[in-house]
Amino acid sequence: MIDRSVQILLGKELRQLGRSRGALVSATLLPLLLLVVVPIPQLLTLRNLPLDIPELPGGGPPGLQSLRGADVFVQLLYPLFVTICGMIVPSLAASYTIVTERERRTLELLVALPVRLSRILVAKLLSILILGIAVTVPLFAVTATLVVILGTASLAEIALLLVPLGAAVVCSTCLSLLLTLLARDFRTANNVNGVLFFPVLLVAAGILVGVGGSARLLVLGAALLTIGGAAILVGARWITFERYLE
Amino acid sequence: MPSALAFERVTKRYRNGVVALDDASWSIPIGARTCLLGPNGAGKSTAIRLLEGALRASRGNVTLLGAGPDTPAYADARRRTGVVPQNPGMYADLSAIEYLELVRQLYGRGDVGRVIEAFGLGPHRRTMLAALSGGFRRRLLLAAALLSEPEILLLDEPTVGLDPVAAHEVHELLSAAMKGRTTLLCTHNLAEAEALCDDVVILRGGTVLLHESLVALRGRVAPRLRLRARQGVEPLIAALRRRGLAVEVEADAAIVNVDGLRAGPELLRDLLGQGLDVYESVPLEPSLEQLFLDVVQA
Repeated sequence: MIDRSVQILLGKELRQLGRSRGALVSATLLPLLLLVVVPIPQLLTLRNLPLDIPELPGGGPPGLQSLRGADVFVQLLYPLFVTICGMIVPSLAASYTIVTERERRTLELLVALPVRLSRILVAKLLSILILGIAVTVPLFAVTATLVVILGTASLAEIALLLVPLGAAVVCSTCLSLLLTLLARDFRTANNVNGVLFFPVLLVAAGILVGVGGSARLLVLGAALLTIGGAAILVGARWITFERYLE
Repeated sequence: MPSALAFERVTKRYRNGVVALDDASWSIPIGARTCLLGPNGAGKSTAIRLLEGALRASRGNVTLLGAGPDTPAYADARRRTGVVPQNPGMYADLSAIEYLELVRQLYGRGDVGRVIEAFGLGPHRRTMLAALSGGFRRRLLLAAALLSEPEILLLDEPTVGLDPVAAHEVHELLSAAMKGRTTLLCTHNLAEAEALCDDVVILRGGTVLLHESLVALRGRVAPRLRLRARQGVEPLIAALRRRGLAVEVEADAAIVNVDGLRAGPELLRDLLGQGLDVYESVPLEPSLEQLFLDVVQA
């Protein structure tokens, strides 16, 4: 299904990512904090200290209505953490696989080979996607298992969180294509990442607060995929070897 | 003879407005070894980039083995072409053998062991590319370009930045690699071009100033003679100037342009008749540097 040259280049990308200690440490550390280290004490605290959110005039936003105790964690805080992590890991990996290749002019080595830019970029985006899933899903599984064991949420409820997680990883991977167009060095890449992700995270927070019930996670997932799709359309429209080589 | 590569009224304007190639037309027949010369900014590297498919022409057609970059046949033409890029960055996390294996897979053929042996890369097969010395980096790039036994070789400044010893080693490897292969050598090094190529394309400001064989190019320049006389250089210069000839002095020798080599014996008879004991008269081949300067400055 995947083009042969993409498979070959994907192998190269994954090998290089696996050897990049900086990429692996930075892509794992923050998700470890946000998906495991910080949420577990919160979960235990909220579970033992029932928290009633004060009634807001008019009932407040739908996403904040009827949230009690550990619901705040499962319905509000953890989905936000999951979304942030799903966005962060691919963006960090993209800085290493896409921007560093450009900054260090190693792209010239690939340009000399019989391969099209589209194949190079697809391989890079796939490697970013694979890393994103490989890092976030196991960390998510740790906390999710604890939530189920503690009886804070059902397996179905917690499994639904995989929707925003997967969508965030896909969205961030797609946004990496814009990063390819906009950032020529590592520092610019970090700044561009911030500019690209802040609005997305605001949208995510808005959906979590503004949409009630279990639909909120599906809406969030759909919104993230829409943003990612738009990024791919814009990126594919503008990206050329000439722009990437500049 | 069919063209191995061709530029047909090609213009390349970059996004910043710089015109690298301006309505340039030239082609190289199969089997030719051609050097692409020109001052900085002449459009040499742009030409290579257009051929390797990294850039698209703003106007006109570029073809490689008869295939344009947007045609289905181009992928095959590209797999029959080896490219040595100009001083690329080197991966710090990919070893020489891993890179060559990647190249072999993308070309779909080649014997990695053979090129490692042929280019003396054996001791460095596990070395990361960024850790290789300048000379071994060029060997690796050349090995990668030749791994699939390509029909066409595109060389973009293959010895730039190398010390003389490493450059000499790469020249020897290039000389062997270019035998029987269509080659386009883009270089600033005129001695390199002269040693390795038969034809020359000279670009300036994105246009083709000249495309000729080196033999024909030499024929354009007036032949020169280096003369030495037992009486010394001063009487020789005086005698030559009396004949209205422009004279250059090189140590104890006088160098003059003559109107065709057949004019040499007549000149010699005249000098001997004037009592000058001319004991040396050597025709000088114009260097490519001289030819290049003549063409570019004209």
